[in-house]
Amino acid sequence: MSDRTTALPPGAPARGPGLLRAFIAQPEFGPLVLLVVMLVVFTAINPAFLSLTNIGNALTFTVELGFIALAMTMLMTAGEFDLSVGSVFGFAPVVMWTLFNTEILPLPLAFLAALLVALVIGLANGLFVTRLGIPSFLVTLGMLLVVRGSALWLTDGFPQRTWNAGEQWLATVLVGDFYIGGLRIYMSLIWFILLAVMFHYALTRTRFGNWIQATGGNPGAARNRGVKISRVKVALFMVSALMAAFAGIISSIRVSAANPNSGTGYELEVIAMVVIGGTVLTGGRGTILGTVLGVLILRLMRNGIVMIGVPGLAYNIFIGAIILGMMALHSGLERRHNAGV
Amino acid sequence: MAETLVEMRQIEKFYGRVHALRSVNLRIERGEIVGLLGDNGAGKSTLIKVLSGAVAYTSGEIRIKGRPVQMRSTLDAIANGIETIYQDSALVPQLSIARNLFLGRELRKGAGILDRLDLDRMNAVAADLLKRVGISKNIPPTTPIGSLSGGERQAVAIARAMYFDSDLIILDEPTNNLGVAETQGVLRFVREARDTGHSCVFIAHNIHHVFQVVDRIVVMRRGTVVADDLSPRTSSIQQVEDIITGEHMAA
Ligand SMILES: Nc1ncnc2c1ncn2[C@@H]1O[C@H](COP(=O)(O)OP(=O)(O)O)[C@@H](O)[C@H]1O
Ligand SMILES: [Mg+2]
Repeated sequence: MSDRTTALPPGAPARGPGLLRAFIAQPEFGPLVLLVVMLVVFTAINPAFLSLTNIGNALTFTVELGFIALAMTMLMTAGEFDLSVGSVFGFAPVVMWTLFNTEILPLPLAFLAALLVALVIGLANGLFVTRLGIPSFLVTLGMLLVVRGSALWLTDGFPQRTWNAGEQWLATVLVGDFYIGGLRIYMSLIWFILLAVMFHYALTRTRFGNWIQATGGNPGAARNRGVKISRVKVALFMVSALMAAFAGIISSIRVSAANPNSGTGYELEVIAMVVIGGTVLTGGRGTILGTVLGVLILRLMRNGIVMIGVPGLAYNIFIGAIILGMMALHSGLERRHNAGV
Repeated sequence: MAETLVEMRQIEKFYGRVHALRSVNLRIERGEIVGLLGDNGAGKSTLIKVLSGAVAYTSGEIRIKGRPVQMRSTLDAIANGIETIYQDSALVPQLSIARNLFLGRELRKGAGILDRLDLDRMNAVAADLLKRVGISKNIPPTTPIGSLSGGERQAVAIARAMYFDSDLIILDEPTNNLGVAETQGVLRFVREARDTGHSCVFIAHNIHHVFQVVDRIVVMRRGTVVADDLSPRTSSIQQVEDIITGEHMAA
């Protein structure tokens, strides 16, 4: 057979000596380094950055987009993406609070109803993409407008009140808080950690995860081996909408308002989190760990630049630069990788 | 004696107005390696795509071990013990060797929410298979397919067909774009496959490669089979080349 040294790319993971090189070749390496650098720089300029209060705050707001990013990682690994998540983020809480405030359903049932509506939206996305073969960009762009329009129409554009949430056990389970030492922890963070572990496990250790990667990596080969690629995609579109609804509802309880306009533009921020974490836009390779890093990077960046005195409005400049930088890094590694084959 | 594994009878195939297969008959015995030769456009790929369920045929009959079967999809073919190995296209580059071997037929353990891949067992089986096809040297089964050479990928696809005990392994131009050493590797795997009781259909441009491994040569020209019982032991390369080009008729 051929000589191993010629067939082996220089950066191939976990082969031969050089644990360090294997580590550097991991898609999570870039985002990890960036996160550490950010922590060091921000803390050096303003030591309050590492204070418990600040970390607690940053983590809270982090997770709402994080829920969606977890699902988007799976979807992008399967080779699709979902632009309608931001509108579902706004629509699901509107559905839930409208049902509750008009006394049609008690809160737990209204919650389930909102999740069900999200599942139907995800199902529709999935069927349009798989049955009709329309690119997910167009399908979910259309769905974004339909769903956002529905939220505005249902509410006449006015936020739904959520003040009665306080007495509800569901609200406590979703967004309650408690202290560990001086660190205030919100329930939503616990949910995020739990879901991140579950998603990571599903993607790397289960047959479904194997099928997700195969679906994005080489759909033809996957189909030939009996992988139900359409079912994989439909399921993931449903998970994506479900997570967006879940995140939107948590957010609505936290800010005590279900605003039909909330979540506008979140789809792009979520996709940014996922690609910064090392998941490939074209499918086949995704990392939940990387996405968690990507979520933290974007969140701490937003928080950090304000704390070091850069105007918050400049945030997008930094995020854009990070995306471009990360893409350059990943493509550089990729090219090195391919050059070896 | 030999049992007839595959019998294709009077297969016709039209691509629109292109008559790609004209009443083609093909028999494959168990444990034999058939070399399928013919000029570009002769219909070789079309014929094996029909057999592997990748394209629908216009009319004709396919029997496997004497039983008539419908080949509606590649899954039908796999269920009937027919594996096709195309350059690259049958593997997922991002997944490991072991995960590719078991794609669609993953080994699992645990139940309910803990139902998960049995990666230890998948990797162990894969390592064993890699040794059998002779590419075990320093390649752990956890290596992504994307970092393997072309020959190694062919070997993985062949190993998969062997593991799942396919009766027939079809290789359409597996040696294209391969180096000399890799080509020898593929040819070795083909012999290994036969020695373990598998039949093969082997399509290659290089007639020398075909002569090195096959038991019988079938020649196609313009959508028909023009010879189906040539032996590399009794025919010369020159004779077979003449049949491929149609020179023998002019003579
Ligand atoms: N998908 C297709 N659509 C239309 N014509 C095709 C298609 N595939 C093959 N053909 C035609 O069928 C004939 C046989 O092609 P093929 O089976 O690929 O030959 P070979 O593999 O022997 O080179 C050729 O004339 C080719 O142009
Ligand atoms: Mg061909």
